[in-house]
Amino acid sequence: MIETKLGEFEEVILLLVGILGEEAYAFNIAQEFESQTGRSVSIGAVHSTLTRLEEKGFLKSEMGDSTAERGGRRKRIYTITAYGRKTLVAARDFKVSLWNQFPDFATGKLNLGIG
Amino acid sequence: MKKDLPPFPPRLANKLLDSFLRTDLAEEVRGDLEENFYVTLKKKSTTKAQLNYWYQVIHYIRPFALRKSKHHYSNHLDMLQNYFKIGWRNLSKQKMYSSVKIGGFALGIAACLLIALFIRDELSYDLHYPDGDRIYRVVIAYDFKGEKGKDVWFQAPFAKALKDDYPEIEKVGRYNSSELFGAGSNQIRRADETDNTYEDGFIYADQDLLEILQVPMVYGNLKHCLDEPQTLVITKSKADKYFPGENPVGKLMVINNGYLNPFKVGGVINDFPANSHLHCDFIMTMKGVEFGEGEQSYWGATNYPTYIVVREGTDVAQLEKKLSRIIEKYLLPFWLSEGMADAKEASTSAWFELQPVKDIYLKSDGIADPVSHGDIRFVWLFGAIAAFILVIACINFINLSTAKSANRAKEVGLRKTVGSNRSSIINQFLTESLVFSFLSFALGLVIASLLLPFFNMLAAKSLIFPWQEWQLYPIIAIAVIAIGLLAGLYPAFYLSAFKPVNVLKGNVSRGSKNATTRSMLVVFQFTTSITLIIATFIIYRQVDYILNKKVGFDKDQVLVIQGTSTLDKQIKTFKNELTKLSSVKSATISDYLPIKGTKRNGNSFFKEGRSTTDQSVGGQMWRIDYDYIKTMGMKLVDGRNFSEDMRTDSASIIINQAMAKKLELKDPVGQRIMNWQAYNVIGVVENFHFESLRDEIGPLAMILGDDSNIVSVKIGSTDMSSALTSIEAIWKKFSPNQPIRYSFLDESYARMYEDVQRMGRIFISAAVLAIIVACLGLFALSAFMVEQRSKEISIRLVLGASLKSIFNLLTLNFLKLVLISIVIAVPIAWYMMNKWLQDFTYRTEITWDVFVLAGAIGVFIAVLTISYQSIKAGLIKPAENLKMD
Repeated sequence: MIETKLGEFEEVILLLVGILGEEAYAFNIAQEFESQTGRSVSIGAVHSTLTRLEEKGFLKSEMGDSTAERGGRRKRIYTITAYGRKTLVAARDFKVSLWNQFPDFATGKLNLGIG
Repeated sequence: MKKDLPPFPPRLANKLLDSFLRTDLAEEVRGDLEENFYVTLKKKSTTKAQLNYWYQVIHYIRPFALRKSKHHYSNHLDMLQNYFKIGWRNLSKQKMYSSVKIGGFALGIAACLLIALFIRDELSYDLHYPDGDRIYRVVIAYDFKGEKGKDVWFQAPFAKALKDDYPEIEKVGRYNSSELFGAGSNQIRRADETDNTYEDGFIYADQDLLEILQVPMVYGNLKHCLDEPQTLVITKSKADKYFPGENPVGKLMVINNGYLNPFKVGGVINDFPANSHLHCDFIMTMKGVEFGEGEQSYWGATNYPTYIVVREGTDVAQLEKKLSRIIEKYLLPFWLSEGMADAKEASTSAWFELQPVKDIYLKSDGIADPVSHGDIRFVWLFGAIAAFILVIACINFINLSTAKSANRAKEVGLRKTVGSNRSSIINQFLTESLVFSFLSFALGLVIASLLLPFFNMLAAKSLIFPWQEWQLYPIIAIAVIAIGLLAGLYPAFYLSAFKPVNVLKGNVSRGSKNATTRSMLVVFQFTTSITLIIATFIIYRQVDYILNKKVGFDKDQVLVIQGTSTLDKQIKTFKNELTKLSSVKSATISDYLPIKGTKRNGNSFFKEGRSTTDQSVGGQMWRIDYDYIKTMGMKLVDGRNFSEDMRTDSASIIINQAMAKKLELKDPVGQRIMNWQAYNVIGVVENFHFESLRDEIGPLAMILGDDSNIVSVKIGSTDMSSALTSIEAIWKKFSPNQPIRYSFLDESYARMYEDVQRMGRIFISAAVLAIIVACLGLFALSAFMVEQRSKEISIRLVLGASLKSIFNLLTLNFLKLVLISIVIAVPIAWYMMNKWLQDFTYRTEITWDVFVLAGAIGVFIAVLTISYQSIKAGLIKPAENLKMD
């Protein structure tokens, strides 16, 4: 069964893949995740999510080139599919629509907990 | 130098990673991790980077990254089918080996099944009472001046005292099975018929006893079946015999021709199940019964086993303690009034125990009681024998499988080469072993059910196979799997360890690799077998010793006629008529015979006038007649026999040597001893065995008396059948309505040691079985060895070896193993049997010839087994074996 709904972590990873473009491979994504969110994550966890997203059809991957710092091993580069893009957009639109229905937010009275 | 090396990811972590990671992910993952490592290294210390590497590796243990084991992808069912097919082909290709494997296994399993049935039956005793966990038998224990013991007989008023004084006791019931009072065997008939039938199994019992045991009723009301005087409860089988097709309740029966006091049948109960400790067919009520005046309130005689049922929630340990009050309240005053010396001390050296009813059958060691028992040691012994035989059978399986491994080695090599991994080869061999186990069980079940009647005879049981119990089937299924795996485990691991390269190159040392293990297992088999053989010999020696020991009386050619009390006053005439027969040497009337099952009593003896100062000597006091000593062939060592010419002999007594010794009478004849009254000692009879040879001969005294239930006849002629005919003819004359009932003294004597003889039979069967199974294995092993060395033998023959030298070559090896087994078995058997013999005060010696004989048998059987193969090997035409190369 293919899941179509995106989890929060999955959504972030998917976005990161988009941000990193040509350099989207497991190690790099994990690094980017840490620097963007400040949360640490293991490469294994990222890899596992990437595999799942690929199974769902949001990502595709192919082996890229090798570099010396990885002992001459090739990396697996992930790219977002059209379906992945569509799902991301749908997820964003869905949330925006929810925010818009939020009365206090719509009228600008929401205390966002900053002050 | 180390310092100059650049830091690198921990090797061990990489090893771990390699062990689980999917191979198609290896490159990218290793790359990512290594990149991560060097990036971390730039920011942090080497240790931190390495720790981080470990962290990352461990976090890769996720389902998506794990390597799936290979056979996961293979088709289970197909492989299983293949395993079965190959297993079956192997089985049918090597008929001899397969039949040894299966046959030996089946024998072992049959033995185990039978023994399991036996043990199940032994453990099932007395579990059928609805309130079984609240029913107890009262036991009295004493330790008085070094005399220790436990028994179950209590005074008649004891039950009432329990009931009155202890509210936590719900019911108390007694029975009396003593022949002194008319329990045991009697003549019985319906009141409306005239012919008596002799029946066993009479007891007296309280109405409450039946309620405690909750005996299931066929006719009548449990609450009111023995609550009136002169009532009787009979079992279903007896009801069917005397009142076929009727309801016997309310009908009358006459016991021992006492037609003035017939018994009314108060109820019919189901027969006691075979696994009940208590067995009887006729239960006479205790209501209104008094054996002598005031007997029911007399605290001086103990004749009643007493049972209680306690109320729910009673603390039994507490109750046991509280029961001691009975001694202080009732017994001590009685003893004091009787003027007993040391009454005070005696009262503090006895206590009560409550024995759960389910323990009576198996756990009554050391408790004297009137019911038959199983022996928990027998249960263990049987269990151990079963286990050993099964192990021997398993060893055959293991030995043959590993020995024949060379033949399977190529198959294993090929399977591995085409991609089979070790676990699937283990699976294959375990599957084969399960097939063997299944076939063996099927055969074993057949053998067991065929042998069951024989086994029943051996164990004195009436077991049936519980085919209709559903629990049997899952248990057997589990056993098939368990035993199949157990026997198959070692061969499976052994065979699956072959390296394909070596095997296919032909380098496997043809099955000789494990010769040591195999030899050890053979030694184990023969040690067990030879131990059993030695044990069998020693048991039979002891049986022989018992049966041929000089027992102090002449038990041969003595006919014991029972039930003569119905002759009443004619008995003396009957005896005289018998002695007139030319074939009869002498005859005597006495109920006391030196074999189990005849009358016994307990009496206290003193030297005259010393009853309040001396400690009493407990002993038997038998009532005999003038011809008793002559008929029994007993020997007077001093003094004289009773004589009809001496009128004073009614106050005379003859004692045995043990009595003289215990009473410390130096020159007994002419002295006076007493119990209730004083007697003149007129003779001393040589000690004779009147109890089991397990115990020492106790003190015994004999006086004149007339107990008329048994007439013993010493037959003089060798023509026993004509003597019997003439004796029967005389009996017919005196008692036309009652068939004669007789036995032979020597047979009854032998029956006392049935348990020993039974043990002998058990051991001989076990020894035979063990040796058969072990020899099956040896036979197959020797066949294998011959097969393996066939080329060597052929070459030897070509070079001029004789049949004898070939025979020696092949036999000596195995002979060595058997000799080692003998060396191990001798001390084990000696130790065990010495322990067993300690049970007997009178016992045979263990002599060295037993071991020699057992060893010789072991060697002989082993050589016989091997020689078939060895001789066959020596007689082949060498060309047959060599032409292939």
